[in-house]
Amino acid sequence: MTAPIKLSQFETALAEALPAGDLRDSLTGRGLPHRRVEEWKWTDLRTVLARFDTSRVPLVLEGSRAPDFEAKPNSPHIMAQLAAELGGEPQGFTLSEAETLRLDFSAQAGAAHQIVHVRVPEGVTATLQETYTASQGAFANIAISITVEAGARLDRIIEQDRAPDAVLVVTSEIDLAAGAQMNQTTLGFGAKLARLETHVAHAGQGAKLRLDGAYVVGEGLHLDQTSLVRHSGPGGETDELFKGAARSGKGVFQGKIHVEQAAQKTDAQMQHRGLLLDDRGEIDAKPELEIYADDVVCAHGNALGALDEDALFYMRQRGLPETKARALLVESFLAEPLERIADETLRETFIERLRARLKEIA
Amino acid sequence: MLEIKDLYARVDAEDGDGRQILKGVTLSAPAGEVHAIMGPNGSGKSTLSYVLSGRDGYEVTGGSATLHGEDVFAMAPEERAAKGVFLSFQYPVEIPGVPTLTFVKEALNAQRRARGEEEMKAPEFLKLARENAAKLSISNDMLKRPVNVGFSGGEKKRMEIFQALMLQPKLLILDETDSGLDIDALKVVAEGVNALRSPDRTMLVITHYQRLLDYLKPDVVHVISAGRIAETGGPDLAHQLEKEGYDKYVEDAA
Repeated sequence: MTAPIKLSQFETALAEALPAGDLRDSLTGRGLPHRRVEEWKWTDLRTVLARFDTSRVPLVLEGSRAPDFEAKPNSPHIMAQLAAELGGEPQGFTLSEAETLRLDFSAQAGAAHQIVHVRVPEGVTATLQETYTASQGAFANIAISITVEAGARLDRIIEQDRAPDAVLVVTSEIDLAAGAQMNQTTLGFGAKLARLETHVAHAGQGAKLRLDGAYVVGEGLHLDQTSLVRHSGPGGETDELFKGAARSGKGVFQGKIHVEQAAQKTDAQMQHRGLLLDDRGEIDAKPELEIYADDVVCAHGNALGALDEDALFYMRQRGLPETKARALLVESFLAEPLERIADETLRETFIERLRARLKEIA
Repeated sequence: MLEIKDLYARVDAEDGDGRQILKGVTLSAPAGEVHAIMGPNGSGKSTLSYVLSGRDGYEVTGGSATLHGEDVFAMAPEERAAKGVFLSFQYPVEIPGVPTLTFVKEALNAQRRARGEEEMKAPEFLKLARENAAKLSISNDMLKRPVNVGFSGGEKKRMEIFQALMLQPKLLILDETDSGLDIDALKVVAEGVNALRSPDRTMLVITHYQRLLDYLKPDVVHVISAGRIAETGGPDLAHQLEKEGYDKYVEDAA
């Protein structure tokens, strides 16, 4: 055992709000996740939060309808545990056929926690659309648990607004049953620090997961997208495509696909591509495959680079002004994951948002 | 009218040591004429095309070039394009994610805006695109695909000529347009280029071989060697080169 660490003012206030027990001990013993914890090595939550406002405020959650049950999920992840302990009423939504549930989270200055549970019952096809906005001085810690039952399908669309003076942590835990399907697409613009963490328990047996993300991080912004997909049953599919661009901001991609021995015939693909738009942009990436089954098709790829100067010249030679040519190249690069959104209106909306944001940082 | 006078240019090198490639090129190509520029490898043919179109890494160290009296080198690449400079690339660049038609429409309207003209409306643009595509046996499907992505060498060259037909340049530079083409593709491309012949257009056809010139019938042939125009003549000069090769010029330069 190492000696207990010195808690920051923020951690002390957080611990004081917790009842005695494992979670409190864990927080006082180890503190909030920080850069010496492998999973958080590029996202030092502890340091960034150290001087944040400790006063607790409720998170504003506007749903397209009222919740229909209360659920308190168990999570092995400390941030989700904190959200469960300190959040308001746990809100549960049972989706019905063809429903689009919209959840708009907005955080004001102060610390806010919330847990939400979404259940897609057997055979139901539905859409979940989430937006995250945060004002100056806000720390929002949100835990979302989703169960997609046998044969159900969920399209999950997430938009994280640029929040330069806020900290956002969203921990999603998804249970994907046999024969279920989930398509998740995230468009993120970062915060002082934003961590979007997705865990998927993938049952295989015809279950399919598409996990996509596009991100743009401008000056002073940080966005971390971390995911862990665990295939436990045979014959599952996972297809991940993440693309991002950094201009004086920091993007983090950590993706892990874990294939258990029982998960034979798994087909899992993971791609991350990053574009560095200036000298001060930073993108850190760690794609990982951990495979214990011997009959699988798994691959991952990761590439970082700058804009293609040959393409840029070609476009200018045909008459496109340099700024326009750059914007078109960056947009076409980043739009690829968004093009995979099934719903045409949502797809166009997202591409339009991306375009508008790129214009701002051009 | 393209007027190049005593043009010197160097290519930047990674190690910081540039290399002088053009060493006093002088030529004038009036509107309405097709001028072939032939020469051995490394003589400066492609450099001339990049210098005229404004590619980074090519530095003009002396001389001038004017198109209809305007100083070409004073303009950014996109301004030159708006003034009518079009380079058909030896290796057209792939642009994933940008559909060809979208790209050409953006380019056309960017040029029009730069010239203070009205943008072309979508229906008129589509009609024109279909007509020009038909001339080059380009399918609708190809026009929807991202610029040059997955195209064969011949398809890429046809797309370059399609873009030229759409943009109607004043100066059309064809850089090794025949490279990588089989005889059928060469004929299609040559027909497209011949359709672009016009009294108000200058064409520079840069080529190592004479076979493209069988179809394009240049008015004037220049031989470039060691960064200078070594000889200028009529169409017969191309045939003579085909027979005798470039040895004579290479030896002269050495």
